[in-house]
Amino acid sequence: MGASYLAVGWNRQKKIYDWFIFAFCALYLTTFIAVTALYNPDYTFETALIRSTATLAILLLHVILSIGPLTRINKKFLPLLYNRRHLGVTMFSVALIHGSFSMLQFHALGNVNPFVSLFTSNTQYNSVSQFPFQALGFFALVIFFLMAITSHDFWLHTLSPKIWKALHMFVYLAYFLVIMHVMLGVVQYETNPVLFVMVLAGAATLVTLHLVAGTKEVRKDNRIFKLKKEGFVYVCESQDVPDNCAKIFCIDKERIALFRFENKLYAIHNVCKHQGGPLGEGQIIDGCITCPWHGYQYLPQNGQSPPPFKEKVSTYIVTVEGSQVWLNPQPLPEGTERSGAAIIIPDKQIIENVQ
Amino acid sequence: MVISIVLILIVTYLACGLLFAIPFVIKGVDKIDEAANGGSIGFRIIIIPGAMVFWPLLLKKWIKQGGHKK
Ligand code: HEM
Ligand code: HEM
Ligand code: FES
Repeated sequence: MGASYLAVGWNRQKKIYDWFIFAFCALYLTTFIAVTALYNPDYTFETALIRSTATLAILLLHVILSIGPLTRINKKFLPLLYNRRHLGVTMFSVALIHGSFSMLQFHALGNVNPFVSLFTSNTQYNSVSQFPFQALGFFALVIFFLMAITSHDFWLHTLSPKIWKALHMFVYLAYFLVIMHVMLGVVQYETNPVLFVMVLAGAATLVTLHLVAGTKEVRKDNRIFKLKKEGFVYVCESQDVPDNCAKIFCIDKERIALFRFENKLYAIHNVCKHQGGPLGEGQIIDGCITCPWHGYQYLPQNGQSPPPFKEKVSTYIVTVEGSQVWLNPQPLPEGTERSGAAIIIPDKQIIENVQ
Repeated sequence: MVISIVLILIVTYLACGLLFAIPFVIKGVDKIDEAANGGSIGFRIIIIPGAMVFWPLLLKKWIKQGGHKK
């Protein structure tokens, strides 16, 4: 955007979101610790803190990892997606408390440096039942740390979106490490299988969600547009596009978002100028196409961000014939104004072609 | 033993990063990213941990930029 960097670009919606996360975490931790104190009075406060932050972190991790596929499956989950980075940073902070207190409790009491102790107090790396599971948690925490410290937009520009995204994809490795950390750890001290079963169920849910959303996406991208004339391709019926929302079409390997706004159809390039967010998965808010990832906005009429911002995306020409929507996949230069294609209300049956 | 050496190397690397980060967030960052001009104090603090980790890359960019615009 055109403005200078701030630490956090808070707005009303983000504040509500952050307060909600904060309240949820505080409630979870206090409930967990209170319940532990009631039912296991022999537990120390440190143990309760280690366990409450551990379970909260892994819960948040599952939420973070389900948001992407969930929003692809159902738009109702969009509010979760927006501002996801704060959820990520929160998860990291909670995991950091868990990791730090574990280090304090298990490794800082001797005269060996705690970090040395972490790797040397148990070296049974070829054992399953005695595996040094804490090292796995440590490496996962290092990955979350790298993601958290590079979460500001400045890093996206400096490291380049490609490297930043590659770094981000390590979250899946970190997730695997966390699962192994829990699986191999829990078998060592826990007789109650509840946590074990919950983590397995969580992992199975995540894999299923990603597979369902992924196949849906691939099927959409592989659709072949057969009906063509004079540079236009037939994409859908006009009533298929919900009001203030879009349908995404992948034509010649480019994704194009077709929005409906005030009963006109507008097509723009699907890729947000900020971090490549999928604009067609967002909605029209206050007359602007709003990116679902961080809320950059574009006017449907010309693909430009409202002033003072300077972002522009390519636009496309759409026509409506009867109920058929035709789209020209040849992009116009970024920010080109063109009028929307008016949707013909079926009961009037007049073929007027506003272009 | 090996672990101690690796730890010492990592701590040294991060300490160099901290030394680098201070002038970087005050001056250097404005040179390599124009959106940082007028960036808030909060922004400058929040990028310190990252600067401690990625300082060789930032140093390279700073030197390059210094050559281009005076
Ligand atoms: C701390 C700073 C973080 C920021 C700025 C951030 C922001 C983002 C953004 C913008 C994306 C979309 C990028 C893309 O897919 O190319 C993304 C994707 C993702 N983030 Fe984060 N996030 C952060 C932390 C985390 C953490 C700590 C986790 C997990 C523990 C996480 C999990 C994910 C996953 C799994 C994706 C890709 C899946 C998808 O596209 O739905 N993020 N994040
Ligand atoms: C420096 C890094 C870490 C260390 C030293 C560490 C250490 C430990 C230890 C000692 C336990 C056993 C706790 C007990 O006896 O009650 C444990 C359990 C656990 N850890 Fe970690 N951990 C680290 C990182 C992580 C991370 C990053 C996550 C997840 C995001 C995580 C999630 C868990 C979970 C879910 C459990 C099981 C909790 C329970 O028993 O109720 N850990 N960890
Ligand atoms: S990708 Fe960040 S706002 Fe669109």
